[in-house]
Amino acid sequence: MRYDPPFHRSTGLWPAVTAFAALAVFPLVNDDNYLQHLMVLVMVYAIVAASWDLSLGWGGLFNFAHVALFATGLYAYGILAKTLGVSPWLAIPLGGVAAMAVAALMTAPVLRLDGIYVILVTLAVSQLLFQIVISQSDVTGGASGMVTLPSLKWDGYSFVRDGKIGYYYVALALLAAAMAFLQWLVRAPLGRAIRALRDNKHYAVSRGVPEARTRLLALLASAAPAGVAGAFYGSYIRVASPDIFGIGTLTLLLSILLLGGAGTLWGPVAAAFAVTLMSEAIAGLGPWREILIAVAIVAVMAFYPGGLWAAVQELREAAATALSQMRATRNRSTRAAARAALTGGAKETYIATPHGRIAVADGGGKGPALLFIHGNSACKEAFARQFEAFGARHRVVAFDLPGHGVSDNADPETSYNIPAYAEVAEAVIDALNLDTPVVFGWSLGGYVALELAAREKKPLAGLAIAGTSPLALAPDDVARGYDPDSHFIFAGRQYLTRAEGKIFADEACAPRENGAAYMHENFPRTDGRARAYMITKFPVVNWPRQMRMLREGRLPFAILNGHDDPFLNHAYIAGLTYGDIFRGAPYDIQGGQHAPFFNTPEAFNEAFAAFAADCLARPRKAEGAAAGG
Amino acid sequence: MTLETLGFILTGGLVLGALYALMATGLAVVWTTLGIFNFAHGAFIAVGAYAAWQIGAGDAWGFGALAGAIAAVAILAALGAGLHQALVRPFERQPNIVLISVITTLAGAQILENLLILIWGPRPKQIEAFVGGEARLAGITLSWNEVVLLATIALTLLALGGFLRTNPIGRSMRAVAQNREAAQLLGLDVPRLYALSFALSAAMAGLAGVFIGATRFMSPTMGADPLLKALIVVIFGGVARFTSPIYAAFIVGMVEAFASFYAGLYWTPAILFALMIGVLVVAPEGLFGRKSRTV
Amino acid sequence: MTALLELNALSGGYEPVQIFKDVSLTMQPGEAIGLFGPNGHGKTTLLRTVSGLIDPWSGDVIFEGERLNRPGARAARRSRNLNYDLLTRRRMDPKRVARAGLIHVQQGNLLFPEMTVAETLSIAPAATGSRGDPRALTDEALTLFPRLTERLDSKCRFLSGGERQMLSVACGLIAAPRLLILDEPTLGLSPKLRQELAAAIRAVRAKGVPLIVVDQDVEFLESLIDTLYLFDHGRISGRMAKEEMPSHAEIMRMLFGDAAAEAPA
Repeated sequence: MRYDPPFHRSTGLWPAVTAFAALAVFPLVNDDNYLQHLMVLVMVYAIVAASWDLSLGWGGLFNFAHVALFATGLYAYGILAKTLGVSPWLAIPLGGVAAMAVAALMTAPVLRLDGIYVILVTLAVSQLLFQIVISQSDVTGGASGMVTLPSLKWDGYSFVRDGKIGYYYVALALLAAAMAFLQWLVRAPLGRAIRALRDNKHYAVSRGVPEARTRLLALLASAAPAGVAGAFYGSYIRVASPDIFGIGTLTLLLSILLLGGAGTLWGPVAAAFAVTLMSEAIAGLGPWREILIAVAIVAVMAFYPGGLWAAVQELREAAATALSQMRATRNRSTRAAARAALTGGAKETYIATPHGRIAVADGGGKGPALLFIHGNSACKEAFARQFEAFGARHRVVAFDLPGHGVSDNADPETSYNIPAYAEVAEAVIDALNLDTPVVFGWSLGGYVALELAAREKKPLAGLAIAGTSPLALAPDDVARGYDPDSHFIFAGRQYLTRAEGKIFADEACAPRENGAAYMHENFPRTDGRARAYMITKFPVVNWPRQMRMLREGRLPFAILNGHDDPFLNHAYIAGLTYGDIFRGAPYDIQGGQHAPFFNTPEAFNEAFAAFAADCLARPRKAEGAAAGG
Repeated sequence: MTLETLGFILTGGLVLGALYALMATGLAVVWTTLGIFNFAHGAFIAVGAYAAWQIGAGDAWGFGALAGAIAAVAILAALGAGLHQALVRPFERQPNIVLISVITTLAGAQILENLLILIWGPRPKQIEAFVGGEARLAGITLSWNEVVLLATIALTLLALGGFLRTNPIGRSMRAVAQNREAAQLLGLDVPRLYALSFALSAAMAGLAGVFIGATRFMSPTMGADPLLKALIVVIFGGVARFTSPIYAAFIVGMVEAFASFYAGLYWTPAILFALMIGVLVVAPEGLFGRKSRTV
Repeated sequence: MTALLELNALSGGYEPVQIFKDVSLTMQPGEAIGLFGPNGHGKTTLLRTVSGLIDPWSGDVIFEGERLNRPGARAARRSRNLNYDLLTRRRMDPKRVARAGLIHVQQGNLLFPEMTVAETLSIAPAATGSRGDPRALTDEALTLFPRLTERLDSKCRFLSGGERQMLSVACGLIAAPRLLILDEPTLGLSPKLRQELAAAIRAVRAKGVPLIVVDQDVEFLESLIDTLYLFDHGRISGRMAKEEMPSHAEIMRMLFGDAAAEAPA
């Protein structure tokens, strides 16, 4: 039901491709054999930690037997390849199977338990495995372990030769395969079910997520890569020692997982490199090394519990925010002429508001004022055709919302939400001394206009919206007011790929070739946080107040939706009660899309002109007559 | 099996059970009050043993075994309060404190064990027995040292139980464990009570360390095995009541004593862990009651 | 005369969501006020902030002339992931609030499930300080709630909802409150118990203990308080003296408009 791009079209593709390409090139430019050896170990740890993250981070299942699953793969390889003489190439995948078998056995006790009890029972399982390994010395070599395990060979070529470069590429291939598998899984329905169980077990179960089956599959999926990694590890270091069960391995892998960031999948991979290489750099310090590492773990957990991946995300957001602000600053001077041309030479001014500096275009005409509010990821020039059509008879005013157009970015917590945008509109009305304007809001701007009217702080002559569904019950009714299968979902995405931005701009406004090239330019400029926060802060709007205003018909109201709007559910909108609506019901602009004023300006302008004339013909209410609450 | 063997096994189980009871109660105090599992408890045991050795042993400072034991307990109480401040307090209001505290207490154990290596080196040491000789009663032979151990542990647990049940501070600790917010609204000093429970728990670990150091060779990782046993005990008995882990400790001690006699040393731990998993599957809250958090 | 409790432009919530904003109110000594408003609009969060369970974001809580919170607004949180608990000190200490005599009896309080009534009563005077004699206060509270006397040795989890609520209020009284906050004391009780508890609370009020009461029962509030505050959308939206207190239906109209008042209650 929900649009979710495949990984190859998401913003995560290029970083992943670049990283794997760099790893592929690494042995060609590196001639330090020890470093290469470390990199193989790092990749093994990365697989184990990332697959552990599937059960621990994504599943919220405090599975502390993951190291034992890794060890199971290792011993399975030892027994199969050495004792039974199975080909190493077959023994490696069988290591994964062995780990899955242990995981399946472990599911029974884990299923009935929660939280800390899962930690304890899984720790007990790993201790049990350890004790079995120790006691079965004729099979497992007991406390001294198994040595001289067979190494990998291909057609007579031993992978031990040439600085073990063969092992390096096998490890890289395994890491790539494991990450592809895990990435696919977390986006598949099973991955969603796993996460749903973590976030709200009872709700997920009541919505039909089978708990036992999901938990079992999560553990199996997380065990397989660990077992394969364990078997590969056995073929590489050629020793299977019970030390692997020790608290040292557990601490190392757990610190990789948590320092990378639980529930992020890629964080543990990054942390595997950082932690292993850094701990190797201070290897000469003896016991001090362990102490330093432990102190570092506690410090990171104390100050920055999100870990490495959260830091990467914060840096990414900071960079994206700075970049979008730079674009706004640059456009102010370099594109001023182009903007003036679009708005029929309207005067562009900047006013200071509590939500940052806001750019306003004022057509300056003598007639009654019209105030236009643009939509998500757009700009005030979206109304070019209205500046042109109404400029002669009206004072046409439009402004860029915070984080949009050439306005400044603002504080996301306080300024990227609908009531804040309504405050901005009030500030614009004040600054320009607009006298009871007729307000038109498009899409997100429609909500801003509704909120502006419902606040009743500024007298308005009338209110029109397009591409907006009034909501009786938010956020529940969002899925009824809009077509949930449409690309409407992009409206709340912080980061959009180029392709996603194009799809959204095409559907929300118009394709580039239809004169909308400048609207497509808005996507790299808009502060992505404006999209994300606007959606998360949706519930702060006083929705019942808006509905009350519409129901009681406190001011002239018009709905001028495009008939072919790809996002809206017209039936829902028509089903609401309106006390005073233009032409008696929501009025559809024939042939209009999500932006009818842009795509079918003649039909829209005609309807809007009629509405404005209707509003202005009415006797004025005394200013501020309607007192709020 | 002769009667003498049986007596031998029973006394062995009794001594083990008493030690486990001491350690498990210490673990349970923190678990029930703060809702976290302290993986540094094993390292506390080792630190207690080394502190007692350093202060008491003839080839160190030589203040005598009793002074060493008392000092070790006091040092551990301070250490426990300090580590609570460093390893647990910062996360008090984090939603995933259970998981975070696992890694931070593991890290704390790592720090303590390596500090022990740095200070005392890896060479094993042993604390001298408090008293020599053997006591015989109704055909059962106990060393006087074991008698001291049993008596001290019994007194400690009795005192702790009484403290939690009748003393206003002890009652406040139980209150904080059961409903932190309500305790705050009553005006109780919650951070101090948390620190106190950590200090009590660590002091009990220190005492256990003194006794273990007197019966086995000491090493910086000597706490790992007792920690696992205490873990089994706590799960086995649950923490519904103050006495639950104590009963469980004696059951586990006896099972271990009989298992090592019949199944051999190698199989004993496997039997214990399998037993524990079985208990968890059948009765997740332990043999002695519900999962509610109380001391 | 200093006000009993003064909230100046108090704002707060659960990071990063602000629940209430710029709440100001002043209580005079001896006064009892009521808070009335829809569920989920921040009344309980406001009271939890006043008693220091969660930190206020900005504004002041001044109790008998003494400021209970750290002055100024909380520092802006620029990073989503830094552990600010470690970097910033708490802005309010619930222990200090309780020991100053501002006692908060929580909504639907479970108290301490594994402790007996007697044990619970014995730790209740932690905040009493020099304001009173714990023993006399305990006796007084037990006279008010004779039911508790019969159940001294029962664990809290075996008490009925009403008995538990009585125990909570009794604990609050033993702390010798200078101001008692009762958050929905009659929530979920049977009509009979509700009346019993209401009578006891009226008796408390009759002794002159200042109260802040949140309840959904307007008649009950009317019998207790001097001033009613309407609270919705995280703000105080109205204030009225007892004499001008409207009926339930009128209040619903003020909060929700005509449709709500017409709808069957």
